[in-house]
Amino acid sequence: MKENILVIEDNEQNLYLVKFILEKNSYQVHVATDGQAGIEKATDLKPDLILLDIQLPVMDGYAVAQNLRANPLTAKIPIVAVTSHAMVGDRDKALSSGCNGYIEKPINPDTFISEVELHLIKK
Amino acid sequence: MNDMPKRTITFEGQYKKTISGHLFLGVFILLLSFLMGTPSARADDRVVKVGVYENAPKVFTSGSGKPSGIFIDIIEYIAKEEDWELEYVSGTWAEGLDRLARGEIDLMPDVAFTAEREKKYSFHKIQVLSSWFQAYAGRDSGIRSILDLNGKRIAILEKSVQQEAFTRFSEGFGLHIKLVPVPDYKTMFEMAARGDVDAAVTNQFYGAMHARQYGLVDTAVVFEPSALFFAASRNDPKQLLEAIDRHLSVLKKDTHSPYYNSLRRWTSEKVRFKVPLWLQILALIAGIVLFMSLAGSFVLKRQVNARTRELRQINQEMEKRIIERTEKLEQANQKLLAEIEERAKTQKALFISETMYRDLVESANSVILRWTAEGEITFINKFALQFFGFSLEEIIGQNIIGTIVPEVETSGRDLTSLVYNVAKNPKAYEGHVNENIKKNGQRVWVAWTNKPLLDESGQLVEILSIGTDITKLVEAEKELRETMMELDRAKVRAESADRLKSAFLATMSHELRTPLNSIIGFTGILLQRLGGPLNEEQEKQLGMVYNSAKHLLDLINDVLDISKIEAEQLNVVNEPFDLRESIEKVMKSSQPLADKKGIEFSAVIAPEIGWVTSDRRRVEQILLNLISNAIKFTDQGYVRLRGEVRGTDIVIDVRDSGIGIKQEDMGILFNAFQQIESGITRKYDGTGLGLSICKKLAHLLGGEIRVESEWGKGSTFSLILPKEREIV
Repeated sequence: MKENILVIEDNEQNLYLVKFILEKNSYQVHVATDGQAGIEKATDLKPDLILLDIQLPVMDGYAVAQNLRANPLTAKIPIVAVTSHAMVGDRDKALSSGCNGYIEKPINPDTFISEVELHLIKK
Repeated sequence: MNDMPKRTITFEGQYKKTISGHLFLGVFILLLSFLMGTPSARADDRVVKVGVYENAPKVFTSGSGKPSGIFIDIIEYIAKEEDWELEYVSGTWAEGLDRLARGEIDLMPDVAFTAEREKKYSFHKIQVLSSWFQAYAGRDSGIRSILDLNGKRIAILEKSVQQEAFTRFSEGFGLHIKLVPVPDYKTMFEMAARGDVDAAVTNQFYGAMHARQYGLVDTAVVFEPSALFFAASRNDPKQLLEAIDRHLSVLKKDTHSPYYNSLRRWTSEKVRFKVPLWLQILALIAGIVLFMSLAGSFVLKRQVNARTRELRQINQEMEKRIIERTEKLEQANQKLLAEIEERAKTQKALFISETMYRDLVESANSVILRWTAEGEITFINKFALQFFGFSLEEIIGQNIIGTIVPEVETSGRDLTSLVYNVAKNPKAYEGHVNENIKKNGQRVWVAWTNKPLLDESGQLVEILSIGTDITKLVEAEKELRETMMELDRAKVRAESADRLKSAFLATMSHELRTPLNSIIGFTGILLQRLGGPLNEEQEKQLGMVYNSAKHLLDLINDVLDISKIEAEQLNVVNEPFDLRESIEKVMKSSQPLADKKGIEFSAVIAPEIGWVTSDRRRVEQILLNLISNAIKFTDQGYVRLRGEVRGTDIVIDVRDSGIGIKQEDMGILFNAFQQIESGITRKYDGTGLGLSICKKLAHLLGGEIRVESEWGKGSTFSLILPKEREIV
């Protein structure tokens, strides 16, 4: 079994897709479907990587990233934003909230795993 | 007249018989010297100190050591009458004057009056004697006139009026005379007799009495007639002078008074009557005849000649002065004429200026009016009359409220109280705007400037108000304000539309991508066989879904980019990055396309190309677009990249051997949604937005895209980028 990856995503299909790809590539995948739940899971599990959607119920991705960075237990976990927000400043906003990377939706199934692994290696 | 006694005395020593003539002439002098006087108060102090010096016969010390002479006789008589106790203080003339100045003596006899001396001493009014000065010289001196004194040494009494006068007198003739100041007359005559000096100047009394005994004769040099007085110390503390005047006035009236007795005594002292009376009478007659014939004709002639010469000199002097004065007067006259002319000019200028100012005030395109603190109009210019539509008679003396100022402004402002405030404190209302009213009721807006007109004591007299019609301005301003408000509303609308557009774009972006994420994602993993094995037909159809979804995503992205650029929402970042790495990355991702079409794909990148400052993502987007286009429109041959540095720019050429572009199509090449050929056959994929986006992005990055192409032979698209992008 490879590393633990927490996916915080509210869209059922997207979650299924990402989970499917990651599991096919032998990663241990945990999921959360809103921001608050994401933070709780991240604190409990201390995963090796977090894939974070931005548009989330309860608490948006930016706030989740800031929370995780502010907590010493989760501060060091790499976070990659996976979002279809592609407007001006979205990328910068994600990075300044504490994300380490940014993958634009729709994801490219050909390159998705290599982009994810880039951040895992960085760890 | 004053010459005569001297003449007589001169002859006295030689012809004793002329004594009676002397007497006769003495009387003659006295009569002519007759003067009036007024009595005054007695001197209070008893002891009167009188200076004595040697100047016989006026004042001198006799052989017995007793002060004597005419002045002494007179003062002794007065002293007796006034009950004064006289004390004599002997000394030289100069010593005597010094003592008087210091107040050590009370009176000094024989003092000629001068303005200079009057500052130091006090004088009485009635002169005691008249005197003049005369030069005496040896018989053979050859001195005939003042001119003969040039270069001569002349003895003169130290500190005397004659010293000053003689100096002035001789300088007037331009003579160089060496004056030898001597303390007394006796010494002077002794010196002249010895030849130590060429001549001696004494008064005629002394000269007449003593010249002969020194073998000296009188010369024609006669000057400075003077009146002789007693001088008292300054301000006459003992009040002696009034008494002296009072007595002199009485003494001079009576020919047998001690005054005339003294004169007779001292001018005939040395005469002895030795001849009988008949002979005396005879001698008297003979004397007179002789005197008349000889002295009168001979001596007087000399004197007259000398005087004539002097007079001529004086005359010439006078003429010279008259000429000078005339010239001065003429000059003054001319100056005056010039001044009059100038005055006339000034007046004319003043008139013109006044007229000009009146015109200015009357016809200025401003309302000019003066009004009192009570509001009464005292002046109004023509322009204002025309403007408000009143005649002068209708408005002068009227209150401004109810004539040109309405009680209430259209806006409701109370103008009566405004006018009251202006009158109370014009300074505070130096400039203000209010509504005014014309005679026909039309309301107008006027901008006023108010100035208080004060009297000398600073009290307000009137208020000067100058007004400008700004009705049009006010109306224009109102319109402008409305337009501005309209613009503001439009701006608010536009801004809100803009926000809506941005929000719409963001939403569209998100909402369109989310389903595409599933489509592309799942077809992608199915094609990767992650979902299980596929047969050939399934793979082919899934591939079509995948490609269509990808194309849709490209379209969405391009539309979003164009929209963002046009809404000026696309911000570019400015950061250093390795351009070489970016080129390699883009080439790597394009390589499969080129391989698929079987065309040569290569690059020559100059070694200088490395780090640049720009927006990496956008630069890569442009390059990818240009390369994709090149590969897309090239069916055989090559796509070659060449990168080089030109000055501060980097130029990347993407050259292909493709279909090229027709000259006529070059103009529409960069238009949005244009794909040349698209109208004929849809042979090539693409949104038609690519080049338009590239061009816009290149501009945003401070660079540009150039194209060279030949139909059928290929094209070269060049991206020109500044190495260091400057943020404007």
